[in-house]
Amino acid sequence: MDIERRGQWLRGVLDLCVLGLLRDRESYGYQLAQALDAAGIGPIQGGTLYPVLLRLQRTGLVTAQWREGAAGPARKYYRITEDGRAALRQGGRDWVTFVRPVTGLVAEGVDE
Amino acid sequence: MNADDWLRAFAAELHHRRVRPDDARHVVAEAATHLRDGGGDPTVVFGPPGRYAAAIAESVGAAPPPAPSAPGPVRLHARGITKRYGRRTVLRDAGLTVRAGQIAAVVGANGCGKSTFLRICAGLVSPDAGEVTVGSRLGYCPQQGGTADFLLPDEHFVLVGAGLGLARGPARRAGRAAARQLGWDTPGDVLTRHLSGGTRQKLNLTMSTLTEPDVLLLDEPYQGFDRGTYVDFWDQLGRLRDAGRAIVVVTHLLDRLDRVDLVLDLTPAGGTDRNGDAGWGGRA
Repeated sequence: MDIERRGQWLRGVLDLCVLGLLRDRESYGYQLAQALDAAGIGPIQGGTLYPVLLRLQRTGLVTAQWREGAAGPARKYYRITEDGRAALRQGGRDWVTFVRPVTGLVAEGVDE
Repeated sequence: MNADDWLRAFAAELHHRRVRPDDARHVVAEAATHLRDGGGDPTVVFGPPGRYAAAIAESVGAAPPPAPSAPGPVRLHARGITKRYGRRTVLRDAGLTVRAGQIAAVVGANGCGKSTFLRICAGLVSPDAGEVTVGSRLGYCPQQGGTADFLLPDEHFVLVGAGLGLARGPARRAGRAAARQLGWDTPGDVLTRHLSGGTRQKLNLTMSTLTEPDVLLLDEPYQGFDRGTYVDFWDQLGRLRDAGRAIVVVTHLLDRLDRVDLVLDLTPAGGTDRNGDAGWGGRA
């Protein structure tokens, strides 16, 4: 995939993807990066991910807490807030509304 | 750069950008944890320490500025500067006082005499009235020009160094180090005429700081800079200010006025020196 284009798309939706991952369970940065990769988004570097997490934290969409895991060192765990769920609902709806006509417009060109 | 070195440099950059110590500690610890979990080259995972620190500073915001330290001695004093070209009065009774450790921005509409004012301060143009006093060494970076097409960047550094009595080797090293502060790795074998406009301006700017001037006059030196270089440029100005330089920068980009100590607005209608106006004078 065109790396530059992927980067542009990601900038617009990475916060929503992170909120989506946090919807059901709390998580920490490295685990979120792996989950994004596993979901097919592709590798996300820390330099991209943590500023997004900080912004989500500052705007109250997630809370964060340092905690020792079951094994291993202390990690900063992020948890979605009610405001975060609302933002995910609204932002997710907006994304779907946006992407549907785009898909409609480009889909026919894909197989040519 | 190994992880420890990178983390140290990153912590220093956060401190330099006045990210609150608490925030900085968390961010550094989190980056360390991430690198331990995932491995990898930190400059790939997080990018250069300075750039990542800038992104963090933007995300968390910086601490309120410390109480301004006592201003240093006056380095540049211009008063009553008037300049006419034919019947047109370009500058009328303009004045500016800049002390060591201050950045002054000269702003105003196109054609209001910003560059003329700076050239008068540099002693390149005589005013019709008024006078300028400058403390010892002066550096001047013009809007364009000032580089030699058929010299290598290194040869520029040697040339400026020669004026300071520096040998070729040390001059070249000093030039390259100063260029790196702007995020520019000088190529060893590219003639200046083959550099892009923005890169030539980096060379220009590098030369003007190389003499370690007490007063640095910059005439919109960032034309053609990309976004990253522009950020590096203002960071570099911050470092030079902290090192006690007096800096005057002509700018039409108003977004960085939060980083300056004084603003001189040359727009004729207002025509006011906003020096000391609390709304404009704060450091960020």
